[in-house]
Amino acid sequence: MSEAFLAVKEIHKSFNGQKAVNGISFTIDKGEIFGLLGPNGAGKTTVIRILSTVLEADAGDVTVGGYSLRKNPAAVRNLVGVCPQDLALYEELSALDNLIFFGQLEGLSGREAKSQAISHLSLMGLTERGKGKISKFSGGMKRRINLAIALMGNPKLLFLDEPTVGIDPQSRNNIFETIRSLRDKGMTVLYTTHYMEEADRLCDRIAIMDGGKFVAMDTPQGLKRQIGDPDKVTLEDVFLKLTGRSLRD
Amino acid sequence: MQQLRNIWLLTIKDLKLFAADRGALFFAIIFPMLFVVLFNYMMTGVMGEDSRLEINLATQEPAGGISYQIIAAMETKDATTLKPGEPKITWLRDYEQAKQDVEDKKLSGFIAFPEDFSEAVMMGYGTSLEVIFNPNNMEATAALEGVAQSIASELGASRVVNDTVISLLVEKDLFSTGAAEDLGQEIQALLARQATAAGNEMITFSTQTVGEVKAENPANFVIPGYLVMFVFFTAAFSASQLVKERQNHTLERLLSSSATRNAVLGGVFCGTAAKSLVQITIFWLVGIIFFKMNMGTSPLAVILISILMILVSSAFGVMLATMVKTERSASSIGVITSLILAPLGGCWWPLFITPKWMQFIAKITPHGWATTGFNKLLVFGGDFASVIPEMLVLLAFAIVFGLIAVLRFKTNAD
Repeated sequence: MSEAFLAVKEIHKSFNGQKAVNGISFTIDKGEIFGLLGPNGAGKTTVIRILSTVLEADAGDVTVGGYSLRKNPAAVRNLVGVCPQDLALYEELSALDNLIFFGQLEGLSGREAKSQAISHLSLMGLTERGKGKISKFSGGMKRRINLAIALMGNPKLLFLDEPTVGIDPQSRNNIFETIRSLRDKGMTVLYTTHYMEEADRLCDRIAIMDGGKFVAMDTPQGLKRQIGDPDKVTLEDVFLKLTGRSLRD
Repeated sequence: MQQLRNIWLLTIKDLKLFAADRGALFFAIIFPMLFVVLFNYMMTGVMGEDSRLEINLATQEPAGGISYQIIAAMETKDATTLKPGEPKITWLRDYEQAKQDVEDKKLSGFIAFPEDFSEAVMMGYGTSLEVIFNPNNMEATAALEGVAQSIASELGASRVVNDTVISLLVEKDLFSTGAAEDLGQEIQALLARQATAAGNEMITFSTQTVGEVKAENPANFVIPGYLVMFVFFTAAFSASQLVKERQNHTLERLLSSSATRNAVLGGVFCGTAAKSLVQITIFWLVGIIFFKMNMGTSPLAVILISILMILVSSAFGVMLATMVKTERSASSIGVITSLILAPLGGCWWPLFITPKWMQFIAKITPHGWATTGFNKLLVFGGDFASVIPEMLVLLAFAIVFGLIAVLRFKTNAD
């Protein structure tokens, strides 16, 4: 039986009386890539913000690597890396400075941070651009740096909130390759996206979320099987079937 | 320990961002220096000889009268020895010519002693000083009237003393009434002898100035004033840094790192303080090297007030950052508060030349306490103990702003 690295139990979160997350529970095994899909406003980002200790849940508990988020948030922070949906970079600093700064905040010494930064730049195909200012980078390069920062400190659990928004196929492919190689090294990943084929290709299991709740959770094949022949049905068909066709924005 | 390291890392990051932003460097360092140079130059003109108030005196009495003594005592012998604020007093020897000069607008005005001045003073009957002035020059007119009033009061007081002494002697029956009249004449004669005796002046004058102003170097109040204004301005402007962190989503990243909320807030505070420290160091160095500023009797107190001003302004900047939502509102509020508080707090002109009500309003601003402290030390020659109240109030401001920032950040960082 595989080991649950992340366990979420009945978490709730409201903003001004509006339920953003309404009692969801799930686990992610060590080395698993878990996809979280849902229309805009479904509550995906709120879940990630709770799990990464930016927000506090109104109720429920989360354990990461055996540590309770409520009781020991500092220990949880040491285990997780976050790649937010929006680019979270200092545009006026170089890529290397960004990586080193966030690496040091993860507890690395200056030397360790620099060494990891160079290694991650290489992983992202940006070795030559390390000293360049982020403001001069293309959207795809910024996305890759955004992910590289999340990897600083070698986290055990990685939260990736739509890491491939608005980038070219080459950069997206680079990010996919990176995530796969990290999974192969035993990293656990929680991945949210709007791109269904991405989730289909990458995730071991997927949860579809709507209105703050999970409406389905299974493997990609298992989800497709719920509405038809998995070889003929796409994940997008499943998504639209479960969440409806009405606009959300 | 880890959180202290995180604060340090955040501070260094802020300094790197500051150094990378040419616009911020210009407005924090170069722009204030331009202000200092300009206003130092302007204040030098104001305090200089050219604009010194001139009081002219003349007499119609024959030579040897008491008015000669009075004017000789008041006349400015050497204009180069005058202190700032002291008027230059000139003796106009020719009454008719002086009158003509006023008519021709060559002279703003003068005070003239009447022909019977000595006799009137000695005999105790009333006389009038003549104030001749050009009505277009209100400043000089007011000054002339003030001086005339002073002379009249001084002589009036002498007369009262004189009469009181005589009355007392009569009352004690030391002299009969008739003898008292003789005594009165004796005393008047004595006064007249004293008045005409060379080197033995009957009336002495002293000039009273508020607080012993020794502002030979206007940099001593121009630089601290603008230092306070721009340090506060930079700190208030830094409020946008935290808002920017929130808008750029780096705050989210920071909050999910090993840095606690208080460490993040501490980092923003220290980053702002570090920028202010750089700014304030440059201000003092420029002041000492290029403007020959005197650091007063207690340079330690000057340094402490500077540090307290950094703490107050940084705490204000962080507090402001926790109260606004957008970068634009952060910078707008920062600029507006700085521009309102600076003149109220005596940054644009020394508080000691402002009316009492303005000095009272200054007490509600940290600027007012800081500039008062600097003025005490650098202008009035105060020592360390004299500025302890200012230091304590600045510390209180820093604590209050800091507490509000911490409480606000706990609730709205998300």
